[in-house]
Amino acid sequence: MKTAAPSSTFLTGLAGALPIMLGYFPIAFSFGVAAVRAGLSPTEAAGLSVIIYAGASQFLALALIAGGAPVLVAAFTLIAMNLRHLLYGPALMKRAGPAARKRWALFWAFGLTDEVFGAALGALARGRQFSESYMFGLGIGAYAAWVSGTVLGAYAGGGALEGWPVLEAALGFMLPALFLALLLSIMSRAQVPVIAVAAAVTVLVTLIGSGTLGILAGMLAGAVTGMLRRITDAQ
Amino acid sequence: MRSEVLTLALLVGFCTWAFRVFPTRADLSALAPTGILARFLAATGPAAIATLFVASVMPWLQGGVALPMICGIAAVLAAYAGSRSVVAATLAGSAGYGFAVWGLAFLA
Repeated sequence: MKTAAPSSTFLTGLAGALPIMLGYFPIAFSFGVAAVRAGLSPTEAAGLSVIIYAGASQFLALALIAGGAPVLVAAFTLIAMNLRHLLYGPALMKRAGPAARKRWALFWAFGLTDEVFGAALGALARGRQFSESYMFGLGIGAYAAWVSGTVLGAYAGGGALEGWPVLEAALGFMLPALFLALLLSIMSRAQVPVIAVAAAVTVLVTLIGSGTLGILAGMLAGAVTGMLRRITDAQ
Repeated sequence: MRSEVLTLALLVGFCTWAFRVFPTRADLSALAPTGILARFLAATGPAAIATLFVASVMPWLQGGVALPMICGIAAVLAAYAGSRSVVAATLAGSAGYGFAVWGLAFLA
């Protein structure tokens, strides 16, 4: 008997966003705090989260703004940092299959962050069917957590979690835990070389270059490994 | 909101949106399932998630592998093995890390 694929409604997408929301909120809170400390107003901090919605580049934006970098130089640096997002759409749609609708991709793909991409891919790997409603649920949950976390952080200031160091530490480990769980959810024997090469190259390039370069190089090296491995297998 | 901050946000926000949106509209129907680009895209997901995991733990690793991180990772592995749930594994990992931090503080 064939098992039916799990439903892919807006609400199941929202439920799938829960670990992302738990991970995003404290990081966005930290961003809000850091933004105000760097001299931005709460409105400016919220504006960066609402408009850019890309965590690592937002933190770098604070350093560039605080350091007085020219707008175009700062923009170019931040745009280069987000180039990895170019790979997510095609990888997701390839996994979703040729029948996948993308009529509203102009809107839901705005929320295709690292974590949303990983969660969507993991869900598809576990047998869930792709749907735009599911992507909206996943994306809106994550976006709401990011923006609300930023706003609260900007208004609360730096001392909000000082009395709760254990909670602060636990929340700080939420994103690594999420990435590891997502990795386990899509893990297969065939992907082990891809994962090993991606991890090794990320470490190496981060240590000798920078974190941004490390992420880009790790992703590309892993993807190329997957491509070459099957060529080798076929020979 | 200062004009330079708004300009920066709009420039970066627009490009990031374009990077996320337009590649989803690429026509992949002509791709052979075993073609080079199809294989590259299929490996991109696992490579990306592995990369992001490593990048997220590197700040901890650069200070030496600490007990809380080992506990957090072990909790993720155990919870995922038991439940096959990403949500449960994530929460367990975070809790494992937090409890280890609390335990070390208690013993100190």
